[in-house]
Amino acid sequence: MELYVPEKSGEHYIYRKYDPSKEVTFSNIRACTPAKEFLFPLRELAAVFPEPFEPEQIAPFAVFGLKQCDLRSIEILDKVFLEEEFGDPFYAARRQQMFIISADCFKPGKSCFCNVLGGEPFCQSGFDLNVSKIKDGFIIEAGSKKGNDFIKKHADLFGDVPAALLAERDRNRAQTQKQLEQNNAELKLDAPVQELMASSYDSDVYDEQARSCVECQACTRVCPTCHCFYLYDTKQKDYFGKMKMWDSCMRVAYAKVAGGANPRKILGDRLRHRLMHKFSYFLDRYGIDMCVGCGRCVDAEAGGVDIRAVLKKLNEEFKSKDRQKAEVKK
Amino acid sequence: MTGNLYQPINSEIVDVIDESPTIKTFVVVPEQEFKFETGQFVELTLPGQGEAPFTPSSSPKDAKKMEITIMKVGRVTGLLHECKKGQKLGIRGPYGNGYPIDDFVGKEVYIVGGGVGLAPIRSLFLTLVDRIKDFKSVTCRFGARTPDDFIYKKALFGPWQQIDGVNIKLTVDKANGQWSGNVGVVTTTLGRSDVDIGNAVAVVCGPPIMMKFVTLKLLEFGFPPKNIYLSMEKNMSCGVGKCGHCMIGKYYVCKDGPVFTYEQIKNYPNIWD
Repeated sequence: MELYVPEKSGEHYIYRKYDPSKEVTFSNIRACTPAKEFLFPLRELAAVFPEPFEPEQIAPFAVFGLKQCDLRSIEILDKVFLEEEFGDPFYAARRQQMFIISADCFKPGKSCFCNVLGGEPFCQSGFDLNVSKIKDGFIIEAGSKKGNDFIKKHADLFGDVPAALLAERDRNRAQTQKQLEQNNAELKLDAPVQELMASSYDSDVYDEQARSCVECQACTRVCPTCHCFYLYDTKQKDYFGKMKMWDSCMRVAYAKVAGGANPRKILGDRLRHRLMHKFSYFLDRYGIDMCVGCGRCVDAEAGGVDIRAVLKKLNEEFKSKDRQKAEVKK
Repeated sequence: MTGNLYQPINSEIVDVIDESPTIKTFVVVPEQEFKFETGQFVELTLPGQGEAPFTPSSSPKDAKKMEITIMKVGRVTGLLHECKKGQKLGIRGPYGNGYPIDDFVGKEVYIVGGGVGLAPIRSLFLTLVDRIKDFKSVTCRFGARTPDDFIYKKALFGPWQQIDGVNIKLTVDKANGQWSGNVGVVTTTLGRSDVDIGNAVAVVCGPPIMMKFVTLKLLEFGFPPKNIYLSMEKNMSCGVGKCGHCMIGKYYVCKDGPVFTYEQIKNYPNIWD
C-alpha cells in the first residue's frame, strides 16, 4: 500500500511518498499543505467525449500524521462530495481507499486557532488509527473497522496500554490544549460565529481587510475546506476532455457571467462571501462550519489578510451592537 | 462509466433557427431520452471548447428533442452561433428546480419578460397553455430593444395572442417604421390593475437591469415578495451545488434555483449584478 508521510520542508511540513531509506518524521503540527490534495487533486480528468472513459482504479493508500483539523476538513468535504443525490465519483473512489493514520498535535503554530472554533489538538473520531506519542513509545488507537482489522492482523506489534501511559497521553493533550488557549487568549468569541456573521453584511471589516489583499489566492489553495473548482474543456489528440481544477472565489472573474454581470466585482465583497460561506451558509446547509481554524490561510497570505482579525473585529462590533440593543431596551 | 455527474450525454444539433440578429434557436437531440421540467436548465458542451448553462425554450412534453435559444454574448455562445446542423454537442442535466407550476393553479399568472429572457418563458408559456383552464389567466408583458430583436416573432405576433385566457402586450425600446405598438421599456406596460394582485403570481425573466426594475414596480403595486418568481442568471458551472460559482448568499442557483422568489434572495447583496 502506498503511504504518505510528513517531511520537514523549510519551517513547515509537507507530505511525501514514504521512502524506506529515510526515517519518518513525527510532525508536531499539521502540514502546510491541505489534506484535500489526497481526495480532490488540483486538476483531474472529469469526463471524456464522445466515448465516456473508465476512470483509473484507485489503489488503497495510507496517510500518516494527519491532525484533528485535517480530519475535520475531510468531514466537511465529505458533506459536499459524498452527497447522496450528487456524489462525486472521483472523490468517493479516493475516499474509500484512504487509510487515515492521525496523530496528536504537540506544538500548535502561532496561526493555529482550532480551539476558538470548537476544535481540539487531538483526534477522537474520523481516523482508522490514531497515534499519540508518549515518552517511551506510542499509543495506537483504532477508530474504524479497517483500523481494528489492522491491529488484529499485526497483534504481535501491540500490547495493552497501562493506565499510567493513558494518563500521560491525557496530560500531553491537556498541555497542548492549554497552549492553544494561551495563544488565542485574545480571540474569544462572545456568540456563535454564525450569529456574529448574521449582523455583519454592512460591516466595514471586509473592505478594510481586503485593502491589503493582493489576490494571490493562496488562502483558498491551502485552505483544507475550500472546494471551489471550475470545469474546462480541452482538445486532445483523439478525444475531448472535460477537466476539473481548483478555483478560487477570491478571483475577480470567478462569478462573472458571459454577459458581463459580476455580483462580486469588489474585493471586499469577495472576502465577505468567502467568510459568509465558511461561517454561515455552509452551516445552514450542512450543519457544520466550513472552517477548522488550522490557520493555513494566515501563514500563506501574501497580503496580510487575517481571518482571525476579521472574527475579532466582528466580535467587537457584535458586542457594541448588543450593548446598543440593551440600552434601547432600558 | 455510469453515475459520473460530469459526463455529458452525446447529442446533435438537428436544426438551427435564426430568431434575431444576435439570437438563434438550436434544436438538440440527445442520444438518450432527456426529461426536464419547465424552468430547469442544462449544461451544453461544445466538445473541446467549453460549456455553458441554458434553459430550454421548448415544452418539456417532448423528451426526444429540445430547443435551446442562445444569444451571442461570450466565447462559448459565439462558437455555438457558428454551429450548423449535424454538430455534435454534449448535454448535462437537467439541473435545478424549474417553475412550481402546480402552485400557480387557480391564479392569475403575470409574466414579464425581456430580450432573450423570453427563452425560458416560452417553455413556461407552452406548459401553461397546455392546461390553460387550470389558471385564472395568463397575462404577458414582453419587451425587446427593437421589433427585430423579438424572438419567436411568428408565434408572438400571431397565434399566441389568439389563445383564450391569454393576454399579451408587447413593447420595444426603439420602434421602426412597421411598429404600431407600445414604445418604452417593459415597466411602462405594467399596470396596477393588469391582474388581481391578491390572487396572482408574477414571473420575471430578462436582463438583470430589467428584472430589477420590474421587481421594484411589482413591489410598488403591492405584490408580496414571495409571489414574485425570478429566473436568476448566474455563472452555473458544475450544476450540482459544488463548484461554487453561482452562489447567491447561501443558495446555489444551480441546485436551489434557477427560479427563486424575491423573498428568498432579497436580503443578499448585489443580486442584480
